Amino acid sequence: MNDIRESYRLFGLRISSDIRLPELQPFSADEPGDVEIRRGPVPADGTEVGPKMGPFSHAAENALWLRVPGVARYLIRDGGKLIYQPEGDIDEDSVRVFMLGTCIGALLAQRGHLVLHGNVFEVGGGCAVCVGSSGAGKSTLAARMLQRGHRIIADDVCPVDLNGRAIPGISRLKLWQDTARRLEIDTAALRRIRPNIAKFEMPLGDAFRAEPAPIRAIYVLTPWNQDRFTIADMSGIAKFQALRANSYRFRFLKGMQLGPRHFRQCRTLAADVPVAQVFRPRLGFDIDGLVDLILADLAGRGAVS
Amino acid sequence: MTARLFWLASYPKSGNTWLRAFISNLTGERDVPASINDLGAGGLASSRGWLDDVLGFDTADLDRGEIARLRPAVYGFASERRRSFGYHKVHDACHRVDGRQWVVNAGATAGALYLIRNPLDVAISYANHGDCSIDEAIAMMEDPEHRLARDDGEQLKSQVEQRLLTWSDHVRSWVDNPEIRTHVIRYEDMKTDTHLAFSAAARFLRLPTHPQDIARALAFSAFDKLKAQEDEEPFRERDPRSPRFFRKGVAGDWQTTLTGAQIDSIVAAHGAVMERFGYLDAAGSPKVM
Repeated sequence: MNDIRESYRLFGLRISSDIRLPELQPFSADEPGDVEIRRGPVPADGTEVGPKMGPFSHAAENALWLRVPGVARYLIRDGGKLIYQPEGDIDEDSVRVFMLGTCIGALLAQRGHLVLHGNVFEVGGGCAVCVGSSGAGKSTLAARMLQRGHRIIADDVCPVDLNGRAIPGISRLKLWQDTARRLEIDTAALRRIRPNIAKFEMPLGDAFRAEPAPIRAIYVLTPWNQDRFTIADMSGIAKFQALRANSYRFRFLKGMQLGPRHFRQCRTLAADVPVAQVFRPRLGFDIDGLVDLILADLAGRGAVS
Repeated sequence: MTARLFWLASYPKSGNTWLRAFISNLTGERDVPASINDLGAGGLASSRGWLDDVLGFDTADLDRGEIARLRPAVYGFASERRRSFGYHKVHDACHRVDGRQWVVNAGATAGALYLIRNPLDVAISYANHGDCSIDEAIAMMEDPEHRLARDDGEQLKSQVEQRLLTWSDHVRSWVDNPEIRTHVIRYEDMKTDTHLAFSAAARFLRLPTHPQDIARALAFSAFDKLKAQEDEEPFRERDPRSPRFFRKGVAGDWQTTLTGAQIDSIVAAHGAVMERFGYLDAAGSPKVM
């Protein structure tokens, strides 16, 4: 076990950890945190934890066992404990990538949050959430919004509280080299998220909003084969389905016995917040065109001050 | 493990989409043709969304080698969870990952329907699909390192990297695979002996084979129907660099499109496999079909 024990703040939680988390805001505290992250034995086989949810995952009520082969095994319990056991001589950066992704997402779900898979940026006094499949352009959009002066609230893991507000996440954007090049962001001084991938961590500093923000609209970013943008409001069951489909690691929710609550949360959010599908050209799309379209749409909803 | 996955395997531009349209119309109950943008027939083997969903963590945080090593486990799990057969398009060559498991997981595989098309015609169609010259397409088909959605580790693509090997090795990797049962269909036979070729495919894939069902599915997936649909709405599987996906859909286009040197180059590289599948005559010259 590591000797260090440091405290951080993330998603409004106090986290005490024996692995350094340079991505997070340090926090000095003597009392125990809400969440404990520590290295410890995690069974090699997740069968004893609960039924199999995937080739490398098992779940039971308020528990998730996850293995990223060659990186680490993780056990997340009761919304308060995250135990990790690295495999082989893997680097700490790699162990952290999945810890601050799937694991923290599962932990937030265990704590009762609806967690969306998307990026959140500030607009007016509120925020907009952009969801969509992997490769849809969420990160590029967030990075460009940042360049256009909008503070970022969350990147990738977006928990929503009971009042329909997005809870601030890690003060960073994960950026691919290709995106950075297109947006003329110099990556020379940035850390790679893992040694073997040209994906960088851009610290947000003042461009991070650390307070929760009411969600004005949710956009489902969808690449298509036409060379123009279109935006279309969703209604009825389609809104609910879009929220469910873009929930973070939907696969694990049922196994953790969180299905019924998640269903109610999606239904409530769908009733309260507009959801629109934004179609964008699959190739060579004009990022500022997309930003303008979304900002104009938000202005039309009275969300831009 | 119960093997529930059927692979619809081919080098690109060899009739795979036509076959999937046929399957979709054969299994569907609708009285209108299935949409080309909703060819139900399972996800693509290389779909990042499918892999991420089953794995429960992002392949975007893995390198190309790590992703390739995890793919067999994803298909193994997908097969385990199915109660009926699933049909998935795959363009990868059937190679082993890390010299061990087959990328598609032989234990999860009920069979592979392999579509082969005259490489002389593939070259033309592939050039059109990738918006490159025919000479470049010919070079790609000879390149053992050729990959689709090549992973340079610098950007995110909606599909993970697929190794194709050379055109000849792609064919051999599937049809000579020691552990996977394959059924080979020639694109040219799909064009000329349509009913027979598709009936055999349906039988191999454990799908309905009643002649009336086959005829209906074929009518709904006829090339001109697919092409007309693309005129109406863009096809999502079209390469954005290419003006259209369904182009000519003919066999023998090479006779009027390729130069003598291009024909010679393809025959020199792929003659052995071309001969084996009836694309060369006794003198070793390309057969006019």
